[in-house]
Amino acid sequence: MYLFVETLEQGLIYSLVVLGVYLSFRILDYADLSVDGTLPLGAAVAAGMIVAGYNPWLATVMATIAGMIGGFITGFLHTKFKINPLLTGILTMTALYSVNLEVMGRANIPLLNQDMIFMPIFGLEEGTFTLGLLIGIVALLVFLLYRFLDTEVGLALRATGNNRQMITSLGVNTDNMKLLGLGLSNGMVSLGGALLAQYQGFADIGMGIGTIIGGLASLIIGEVLLSNGSISRDLIAVVFGSIIFRMIIALVLWLGLPPAYLKLMTAVIVIAALAASNIKSIGLKKESPVYADSN
Amino acid sequence: MLTVTNVIKIFNPGTVNEKKALNGVKLHLKTGDFVTVIGSNGAGKSTLMNIISGVFPAEQGKIIIDGLDVTCHPEYHRGKIIGRVFQDPMMGTAAGMTIEENLVLAFRRGQKRSITKAIKTKDRELFREKLKLLGLNLEHNLQQKVGLLSGGQRQALTLLMATLTKPKLLLLDEHIAALDPNTAYQVMELTKQIIKNNQITTLMITHDLHQALAVGNRTIMMHEGEIVYELKGDERKKASVSTLLSLFEKARGREFSNDRMMLI
Ligand SMILES: Nc1ncnc2c1ncn2[C@@H]1O[C@H](COP(=O)(O)OP(=O)(O)OP(=O)(O)O)[C@@H](O)[C@H]1O
Ligand SMILES: [Mg+2]
Repeated sequence: MYLFVETLEQGLIYSLVVLGVYLSFRILDYADLSVDGTLPLGAAVAAGMIVAGYNPWLATVMATIAGMIGGFITGFLHTKFKINPLLTGILTMTALYSVNLEVMGRANIPLLNQDMIFMPIFGLEEGTFTLGLLIGIVALLVFLLYRFLDTEVGLALRATGNNRQMITSLGVNTDNMKLLGLGLSNGMVSLGGALLAQYQGFADIGMGIGTIIGGLASLIIGEVLLSNGSISRDLIAVVFGSIIFRMIIALVLWLGLPPAYLKLMTAVIVIAALAASNIKSIGLKKESPVYADSN
Repeated sequence: MLTVTNVIKIFNPGTVNEKKALNGVKLHLKTGDFVTVIGSNGAGKSTLMNIISGVFPAEQGKIIIDGLDVTCHPEYHRGKIIGRVFQDPMMGTAAGMTIEENLVLAFRRGQKRSITKAIKTKDRELFREKLKLLGLNLEHNLQQKVGLLSGGQRQALTLLMATLTKPKLLLLDEHIAALDPNTAYQVMELTKQIIKNNQITTLMITHDLHQALAVGNRTIMMHEGEIVYELKGDERKKASVSTLLSLFEKARGREFSNDRMMLI
C-alpha cells in the first residue's frame, strides 16, 4: 500500500512533465529535447533557493519561470537562427547542464530538514497532505491548460502545430506561438522538477537523463488507453499515462529487474509504440484517397 | 487595391540552379476587379501570388495593397488583409481541429487574439448560417474534425474561411484543380457567388481557358515570368479559347525570335 501511494504520487509529479511533453510534441508538433535540461533546472533552482532560506512556494514559482526561460531559449534558437528543432533542444539541454551545476554549486543538494511545500498545514497528517496537494496541483494545471487551449490564443497555438501555412495565412505570427508553446511546456517540466526535488528530498545534476523518453512513453501509453482526439480526454490521458508508466516501473523493479535496465526498458516501450503506430498509419495511407498531387 | 511594380524574383541566385521566376511584373487591380491568370507550367503564376502574399521576398519591386506598401511586411502580417485558397485542399485547413475551430481562427483574422474563450454561442449561429450556403450539410457537424472531410468539402470550407471576414484581396491558386469535375463545378459556383456578393478584389489562377474567360472581368497571360498579354472589356468579351491559344503561340514565338537575336 505504501509503495502504491508513493508510486501514485510520483506519477502525479511526473504528469506535469508529461503535460509539458504533450504541449511540445503533440500540440506544437515540436520534438523538443530541452526537457532533459529543464527538469533538473527546476530542481536546481528550487533546491538552491530552499537551502538559501527562501520560501518553498516562491522557490517553486521561480523554478517554473526558469524553465519557461529555458523553453524561450530553445524557441529563440529555432525561430531567429533557423536551427533545426531537434538540435535546438539538444543545444539547450547541453548548455543547461553547466547552468544547473552553477546554480547548484555542486552535483547534489540534499534537502533534509528544510521547509518544503509538502509540510502539512491545518494539522493534517503528512501523507494525506502530500497526496492531496499533488492531486490539487495537477487538477488545477489540467483545468487551466484545458481552458487555455480553448481560447483564441490557444487555438492559434494548436493551429501552429497542425498547419503552419494555414495559420500564417490567417495572420498569426507562428514564431511567437512556438516561443509561447515551448515556454509553457518547459515551465511545466521545471515545475515538475521542483516538486520532484522537494518530494524525494534532493536535487541531483543527473536527474534529467531520459526525461524525454520517459515522458514520451507515458504520453503514448495514455493516448493508446484513453485518448479519443478531444483535448479534454488527451489531458486526462496524459495524467493517467504518467501514473500507469510509474506503476509499470515500480512493478518491474519489484519483480526484480535491475534498476540499471530501466532506461533500456523505457526505450523499448517507446520504440514498440512508435513502430506499431507507424506500421498502422502506413496501412491507413494505402486506403485513404489521394486528393492532390501538388505541383 | 493592388499595385505590383517591376517585381523580380530569382530563385537560388548565384548557383547553377538560378531561376528567374518573375522578370519585372507590373500589375494593377482596381477595387472589385476579378482577374483570372493563365499561363503554362512554370510561367511564374504561383510565384507571383506567393510574392504578393509574402511567402518569400522579392529581389526587386514593390507591392502595395490598398495604399499600404507591404513589400517588407512578413507573410503573417499580410495574412490579416489577404484571403488565400491553395491548390492542395489539405493546405487551407487544420485537419486535427474541428470545423468550428477552423472557422473561428479565420473569423478572428486581423484582430488581436486574446486569452478569452474562442468560440462564443453567437459565433456558432453565424457559422451555421454561412455553412448552410455551402450546401454540404456541414452546418450540423460543427464539432467534426476537418481531417474527416473530403477534399471538396475542405476546399469549400477553406474558401469560406478565406472570405469570412472580407479580405482586401483574395488569391486563388488553381483552387479547384484537385477536385473531381462535379465538386469542382460546385466550388467554382460558390466562388463566383461569394466574390460577387461581397465585391471582393480577386486574383485567380486557372488552367481552364474557358473558365478564365467566363469568370471575372479581366484576364492576364503569363509567360517566362512576365505578363505578356492582358484581355479586358470588349476584346475579352469577343475572345474565345482559340484566341487565347493563338496568344500563347505568339508568346512562344516571341521567345524564339529573342533566341535568334541572341544568336546573331
Ligand atoms: N521555391 C522554389 N525554389 C526554386 N524554384 C522555384 C520555387 N518555386 C518555383 N520555382 C521555379 O520558378 C518557376 C515558376 O514557378 P511557378 O510555381 O510560379 O509556376 P506556375 O506558373 O505556378 O506553374 P504551374 O502552372 O505548374 O503551377 C518554375 O521554373 C519553378 O521551378
Ligand atoms: Mg502554380
